[in-house]
Amino acid sequence: MRPVALTGFGPVTPLGVGWEALLEGLAAGGDGFEGPLKTLDATAFPGLRAAECRAFDPGAILGATGLRNNDRVTKLLLASARLGLAHAGVKRDGQWLAHGPEKAGVVASTVYGSLESITELDRVARLEDPRYLNPGRFPNTVINSALGFVSIWEDLRALNATVTNGLCGPLDAVFTAGLYLHARRADVVLVGGADALSETLAVGFDANGVLCPPGGRYAPGEPGSEGVRLGEGSLLAVAERPESARARGATVLAAVTGYASVFEPPEAGALTSTRPEALLRAADAALADAGLRMDAVDAMLSQANGHPALDALDRCLWDRLPPEAAVVAPKARFGEALAASGALTLALAAGWFRGVAPGPSLRGDPTKTPRTVLVAIAGLHGNASALVLQRENTV
Amino acid sequence: MSRRVFVTGMGVVSSVGIGRRAFWESLVAGRSGASLVEGFDAARSGRDRAAQVHGFRASEHLTREELPRLGRCAAMAVASARMALEDAGLAPGALAGPRTSVVLGTTMGEADLMAREEARWIHQGRHAIEGARLAGYGTSLLSVHVARAVGSRGAVLALPAACAAGNYALGFASDLLREGLADVVLAGASELLQDLQYYGFVRLGAVAPERIQPFDLNRQGLLVGEGAAVLVLESEAHAARRGATPLAELGGYGVACDAFHITRPHPEGQGNVHALREALWRSGIGPEAVDFVNAHGTATRANDAVEARSLKAVFGERRVPVSSVKSMIGHCMGAASALEAVSCVETVRTGILPPTIHYETPDPECDLDIVANAARHARADVVVNNALAFGGYDAVLVVARPGCLPEPPGPEGARP
Repeated sequence: MRPVALTGFGPVTPLGVGWEALLEGLAAGGDGFEGPLKTLDATAFPGLRAAECRAFDPGAILGATGLRNNDRVTKLLLASARLGLAHAGVKRDGQWLAHGPEKAGVVASTVYGSLESITELDRVARLEDPRYLNPGRFPNTVINSALGFVSIWEDLRALNATVTNGLCGPLDAVFTAGLYLHARRADVVLVGGADALSETLAVGFDANGVLCPPGGRYAPGEPGSEGVRLGEGSLLAVAERPESARARGATVLAAVTGYASVFEPPEAGALTSTRPEALLRAADAALADAGLRMDAVDAMLSQANGHPALDALDRCLWDRLPPEAAVVAPKARFGEALAASGALTLALAAGWFRGVAPGPSLRGDPTKTPRTVLVAIAGLHGNASALVLQRENTV
Repeated sequence: MSRRVFVTGMGVVSSVGIGRRAFWESLVAGRSGASLVEGFDAARSGRDRAAQVHGFRASEHLTREELPRLGRCAAMAVASARMALEDAGLAPGALAGPRTSVVLGTTMGEADLMAREEARWIHQGRHAIEGARLAGYGTSLLSVHVARAVGSRGAVLALPAACAAGNYALGFASDLLREGLADVVLAGASELLQDLQYYGFVRLGAVAPERIQPFDLNRQGLLVGEGAAVLVLESEAHAARRGATPLAELGGYGVACDAFHITRPHPEGQGNVHALREALWRSGIGPEAVDFVNAHGTATRANDAVEARSLKAVFGERRVPVSSVKSMIGHCMGAASALEAVSCVETVRTGILPPTIHYETPDPECDLDIVANAARHARADVVVNNALAFGGYDAVLVVARPGCLPEPPGPEGARP
């Protein structure tokens, strides 16, 4: 892919809302699992620990009105868009400071974005009467609806695309945004992803037996971890062509210089796969796309989430990194936030370029500021995507 | 390197026929796919008709290994992909490898799977949920299943862009080919008829009681449809290497967003006009080159009036023939513009413009040259596939007879 400059971030995370708050939260070294849950009935899940965006107040960012019919994932994305555009100096207080609505778009991913709304409306239809469905909330059941609202709220008219590829989707969204930017379909694109905690999500993970049991060891990437803790959040980064960012005097916080997405089928009869081939091939191809080899990687944002089989898969990739490369496990602090996890890697890499380590170390010294960060995500179905992020002076 | 992209094979599952030939024969004959809804109690909502696929048997298209693994939405997609390969003269396994990608669109994906588990939750408690089944839910699974069926090891993505998803997928697939990231892409979309989606559209006041009358003065709305279409797209070099005969060329595409309302189009068709103009510009042609427009034409009051305004804004006083095959196949949501892309390919291949059936009373707000009630023979070298969607999405694709478009312009350059 041709390089893409990231010039601003709108994170909504359990450790902080907004770029500065996120960096402060990371520097403070805590995690997002403390405190009671507000988004689901915790009495149904005794001992459940999840990384909820407890400090997230949509009204404080977006205003008091207009959000009544929006579900949580939509509110997360709306807030990320508002924060990201302001952070990049593109739009503030409703005024465009650079670019303009006809040259601005959004491309993002979600894994289960509309799940909460589907459940809510399905219950009305099944337990009451389909004629009681709230037509104002029905659009939320459509997966691209959340991004449609982002365009409406921020007046982004150039394009709007939801890209899905399981957990890998946010990386594919970055590639898609790059295609659109370099084809001059847009000059600025918000790019990232989001997923929200909900009772439905917790029930689904619980039914699959992958949640870390109450009191169980939760240590993504480390031996003996007993399962996954859920998280949630949203991140939209501001992406521009490097020359366009430079021309307006923007600070390039990180550059995306390589990408690949591949597929290796699971075993016959199986729906999911924990084989490493796709992940390794995606990482190699993304590095080749950036004109690099594995020995150029000095840091990696592991996607280990505490599930033993998935962590083992991720570990296959660390083993191929140079011995001095640092590997950190952000999900130890943010939980498994699905598309938000993938999207958040963009901001975490940029923070790391500024000396803020994004999570506990699995190997190497994360306090050393890296130049090249590898993000590689294996989906559950044989899919895998990878991105190469580099410091601003590489583009 | 040539940037041309060719369509070399197509597979279809629709309410008016399985396979591209049966599908096209029905469209030309003006057959309606509307029927009483089977499978759930649609009448609870106050409406009871849809363009449902009745003749599709997954077992005729899927392997024994695939049958228990796939839901109906994926089954229709895989069946369409297999038909498309055969249509393209490609043996099973011929596309196996990393230079083949899959890009599909949808709105709800395998929504009935989630609904079944939801029903267990409601009626038997959450411990009755079959966790393993939930792993089959997710819009991106459609592409995964197709990739497994054809042996693709390249990028396998989904673009859930609601009712414009087919055009989004086809446009993105053409980008992968033009950028040299793949030699072949299977692109299209799939959507199934599902109760919550049906009830929701009824509650939006968008569903007609009996039939679909796009652009008619007395139109009463859409009928929800279902189906799938997958097209084999190849780079010119790959098609030439294997001696394939292109069915059509994909021109440029345009995308835009109204940024106006989540379900209603912008009253002046702002995004649609933009996308239409961009698609033409990226095809290296002006509006005078267009012979036919496959309209989005949902038969809702808002869509058809706005779309007519958009087409007037782009084509001026020139009366380009316009038709909406949704009058026959219903509104197949995420699959709509993929199915209609198949119709566009057949239009340029045969020189037959498919009709808009049930067209009785012209609407002054939709003063267009509607191909009313009967197919029309006409020049059809270059056609436009127009799509609008929830979220204010607009996606427009140009389809042409091979040799009728100039060499595609490079990716860069100012917007028109």
